[in-house]
Amino acid sequence: MRGILVKKGLWPKWLLHALLSTFWWGIWGFVVKLGSDKISPRQMQILFMVGMVPLVLATLVRLSFRVDMDRLGITYGVLNGVFTTLGLLAYYAAMQRGPASLVGPVTALFPLVTVVLAFVLLHERINKVQMAGVVLALLSIFILSM
Amino acid sequence: MADWVTYSLLAILFWGFVGLFQKLGASRISADSLLVWLMVGFLLTLPYLLATGNVFSLSSRDIFIGVLGGITNGLGSWFLFAALENGAKASVAIPLTALYPLLTILLAVMFLAEKLTRLQWVGIGLAIIAGVLISYDTAAIAASDGQ
Repeated sequence: MRGILVKKGLWPKWLLHALLSTFWWGIWGFVVKLGSDKISPRQMQILFMVGMVPLVLATLVRLSFRVDMDRLGITYGVLNGVFTTLGLLAYYAAMQRGPASLVGPVTALFPLVTVVLAFVLLHERINKVQMAGVVLALLSIFILSM
Repeated sequence: MADWVTYSLLAILFWGFVGLFQKLGASRISADSLLVWLMVGFLLTLPYLLATGNVFSLSSRDIFIGVLGGITNGLGSWFLFAALENGAKASVAIPLTALYPLLTILLAVMFLAEKLTRLQWVGIGLAIIAGVLISYDTAAIAASDGQ
């Protein structure tokens, strides 16, 4: 199927990959919801790490095991791991308590916080499209929290 | 406010910082290297997780589901990297992947019989559109498309 679509030139390869990314992340939310009634957030995160091992190994192979050693870069990467974990634990707790059809779209709004943090701390500009998104995001959170 | 909202907002807050560290880290080291160091950060949290998180008390079905969570998330990341490497414009690919909750919603409504009010559907619609718009990051686009 995949081969046919790409060979005939119907879809560029990157589009197929982008859609597959969307597909797997969508499945992920459902899988977490399925497990959340029996598995505690901490257990879920331990198993999540096990499931991430193939991706990390594949990445190490792609890097030929030469990982960049810049000290500040390492700090941000490790902080990323700690904050991703904290976010995931909260996400699992949310999935235990609410419907996946609401927790999924609300938690996907995390770029809202990134954009605001980048604006405040890095003085990055928020473009008009993003600004409209920020307003809609706040409105949707308000509506869904009622 | 419902419990799930509080926890969802906490997740947004923590992941929002992840996005910031990603930006800062990407100016120093490659995305691949960042992922490896992220895993080191994961491992640092293990003592805390293992304190109450004995996974051997779980059924094999639940262990499978938990691991599948990591695999599916990893595949999502892998294909996003692959898309960007295969010449995807960040301005198209990243807002496109912001649509991922649509599939979660579809599966939850179909297989878990989740029922939403009309107002909640409106909220979801706004959230999805918002996600697509916010990820239209012109600074990142200029950086990646200019390569």
